[in-house]
Amino acid sequence: MANPGRVDCEMRTALPATLQAVEEFFVEFQRRSREMLDRVNCFAAELLVREALTNAVVHGCRNDPRKRVRCSLRLTGRRLLIAVEDEGDGFDWRAAAGHPAEIWDCSGRGMEILRIYADHVRYNDRGNVVTMIKRLC
Amino acid sequence: MTVVTREDNKAIVRPEGDGIVAASVPELRSTMRGIVEAGVRDLVVDLTDIHIVDSSGIGLLISAYNSLRKVGGKLAVIHASADVLELFQTMRMHQHFSVSGN
Repeated sequence: MANPGRVDCEMRTALPATLQAVEEFFVEFQRRSREMLDRVNCFAAELLVREALTNAVVHGCRNDPRKRVRCSLRLTGRRLLIAVEDEGDGFDWRAAAGHPAEIWDCSGRGMEILRIYADHVRYNDRGNVVTMIKRLC
Repeated sequence: MTVVTREDNKAIVRPEGDGIVAASVPELRSTMRGIVEAGVRDLVVDLTDIHIVDSSGIGLLISAYNSLRKVGGKLAVIHASADVLELFQTMRMHQHFSVSGN
């Protein structure tokens, strides 16, 4: 029996590693999210995707437009699965997680935002793929 | 475009676009730096049109606050949406400067 409250939708893309490409992606993301997430607050979803994509472009690929960043969003009911992969060397996420930003620091809050806003965050060993689950309400 | 309203040593900055995010931070940083270098000591950032602020935007605001604090100035953020206000509170921004909502 079909569940009328359940919406399955998937969005996959591969971007050149530039912030301009990230902004172009979000024009489409906002259009799709209005369709996919009717009456659901999209702020947390957009924030998580933005942080992951920006980290991939700036830190993973060093803004090298020859490198690609792949992003996959899958919505199942109210469960959003976000996966972002870059072609960079990865980073030591275990070490970074142990050194959160100090109160006066002007950077270093991206991982903290992922940890707070996502229900689940996982990195691969190399540190070039992040996967998150967000339950939307 | 970013709108700057200045009166004496006070300025109100209303950023261009609907987000203070990694792509828009460099230009806004340049604008805010110029304002402080021109002698503004009371800087207000008006988020009326802003629907999202990411960690780069948070870093920019803290950087502006640090610069103003060094010269005896102050920073305030006004008209934050409910979502942005919650983000700022979650990230303890209110420990740095005044943040108010719509």
